[in-house]
Amino acid sequence: MGRGNGGAALGALAPAGVAATIIYTLFIGLPILALLVRAGQQEGIVAGLTGPATLQALRLTAITSVTSLAIVIVAGTPFALLLARRRWPLLRVVDAFVELPIVLPPVVAGVAMLMAFGRHGLLGPALASVGIALPFTTGAVIFAQIFVAAPFYIRAARIGFAGVDPTYEEVSQTLGVSPWATFWRVTLPVAWPSLLTGATLAWARAVSEFGATIMFAGNLTGRTQTMPLAIMTTMESSLGEALALAALMLLMSALALGLLGFLLRRREEATA
Amino acid sequence: MSRPATGGHFTVSAGDFRLELSFAAPAGSILVLFGPSGAGKTTALRTIAGLARPESGRIEIAGRTVFAGNESSDSGPTWLPPHRRRVGYVTQQNHLFPHLTVWQNVSYGLERRRREPARRRVAELIERLRLDGLEERRVWQLSGGQQQRTALARALAPSPDLLLLDEPFASLDMELRRELGAELRDTIAQLDVPAILVTHSREEALALGDRVQIIDAGRTVAEGPPLAVLEQPGQGRVARLVGVENLLDMRVSARRPQDGTMVCAAGERTLETPLADGCAVGDAVTVGIRASDIILASGPLPQSSARNTWAGVVAGVELRPPGYEVALDCEGTLLRCHITGTSLEAMGIEAGQPLWAIFKASSCFLLSE
Repeated sequence: MGRGNGGAALGALAPAGVAATIIYTLFIGLPILALLVRAGQQEGIVAGLTGPATLQALRLTAITSVTSLAIVIVAGTPFALLLARRRWPLLRVVDAFVELPIVLPPVVAGVAMLMAFGRHGLLGPALASVGIALPFTTGAVIFAQIFVAAPFYIRAARIGFAGVDPTYEEVSQTLGVSPWATFWRVTLPVAWPSLLTGATLAWARAVSEFGATIMFAGNLTGRTQTMPLAIMTTMESSLGEALALAALMLLMSALALGLLGFLLRRREEATA
Repeated sequence: MSRPATGGHFTVSAGDFRLELSFAAPAGSILVLFGPSGAGKTTALRTIAGLARPESGRIEIAGRTVFAGNESSDSGPTWLPPHRRRVGYVTQQNHLFPHLTVWQNVSYGLERRRREPARRRVAELIERLRLDGLEERRVWQLSGGQQQRTALARALAPSPDLLLLDEPFASLDMELRRELGAELRDTIAQLDVPAILVTHSREEALALGDRVQIIDAGRTVAEGPPLAVLEQPGQGRVARLVGVENLLDMRVSARRPQDGTMVCAAGERTLETPLADGCAVGDAVTVGIRASDIILASGPLPQSSARNTWAGVVAGVELRPPGYEVALDCEGTLLRCHITGTSLEAMGIEAGQPLWAIFKASSCFLLSE
């Protein structure tokens, strides 16, 4: 009855679905196309891409986003495994708050971080007494990125680990493989697609981070001005440079998405 | 036996459930743990494998103490984690690693997997378990039987000191079960490794077990050779657990020591059973008869050595693979008899037909509660 031609519900909604598909494609596609066309028409686009401000922003974004992602993965992986496998009451409370940063406006996150780590924040005096002033440093950029990006990785990793039947790990141990080696040889590879998806989302979120960064880290060229902030700043002085940066970010996003799709497909062909 | 002993006794709890078990698994033989679901069979295997922690007791595998509770106060408690126990564990759903090929699964537990000795070992097991040609297949490309053979090969590859099999054939069809069961028996005998097999199938326990332990609600209620325990159990509780089809409540009406039999009656119905020492005339007894020990005939045999012949009317016929179960109504007493499809057809058995049930006195056994 249903499956082959889409079911009764789809039948009623099909015209609306087709219309929405067209409108959505145009809605997303047109601005992207417009950006690329305008960037291509712009004179001095190459100069814009290789200008010192662009290169500095690019370098800073690469360094901070990769650092944030590394910290998120190293700390988030065991955390996600614990969330997936244990039902401790306190852990469930933590679990309920893990995804808060996803729904929290980034600007609010920035203000909150200032209130915690800022000069007059809760931990400010303590940090200052050991010679650490976090706000308006590259470290603050990384803090902001971790704050907003970590939940994307933790959530995906938790779902991935929850999908690994613990009996696989038990069988592995009876085969003489230690719990630590079992994690690397069974748990991680089986959960791999989820971890990869989560890491990609977290990295993309870190790269595009704007609100919390500008609040907590400021907009200092070469130190805290990542690409989104650089685009915002250059829009005021040079549209060409802003367009070049925007096109570059678009390219990076597309590449990340393409790479993720490729890796997931290759894995799917190999295992399922 | 050349190998040091494998066995032990322990108490383990999970929530409200409590299991007490003593076991011994000689090399090259199969110990069957038989019982209904929830009896604690799987918990027993998990405890021996080190996946569940017992409260007290002692477990030895090939002469090595892998667990010793408080009682060995001189040395303190001993606990070896699962990866140091050298056991092979095969589960019902086989749990083959989905991200690995057949070859990678079988070689998983071997050290230096790429070296020659490991390669030889894997090739040998793949050949023995008839997996040749499937080495590069993914797990999901295998049939159910091939998956279980791969799981068995994987468990055997590191030369375990003890093989633990948790209903390994439960998800397979009957023919495949028999075939794999025979292979398993041969393999275990040849490799001279002890094995503990958990099952709730009587046929499997009879076909594979060298010894059977019947587990119910966390305790061993009977143990011994499979034929004795499963075919003519001595206790009513065990008879119900192993599924004896006919359990008749009767009274002893006469003793015939010269024949070694006695006569039991329920109303007008009488039958002869082997003589039991403790029974006096007038005692209430429960008589068990296996459905497969009863011969059905279209008339009473003119002369035969069988001591019991009951007349009845067919009340119903049910499919009971591989054959059929005929329920014969013998004046109110329902007798269940197992026959083949060929016999059913040849005799044209259908409901309402009068038939005679013939069975030997020695097929009847007395049950105590």
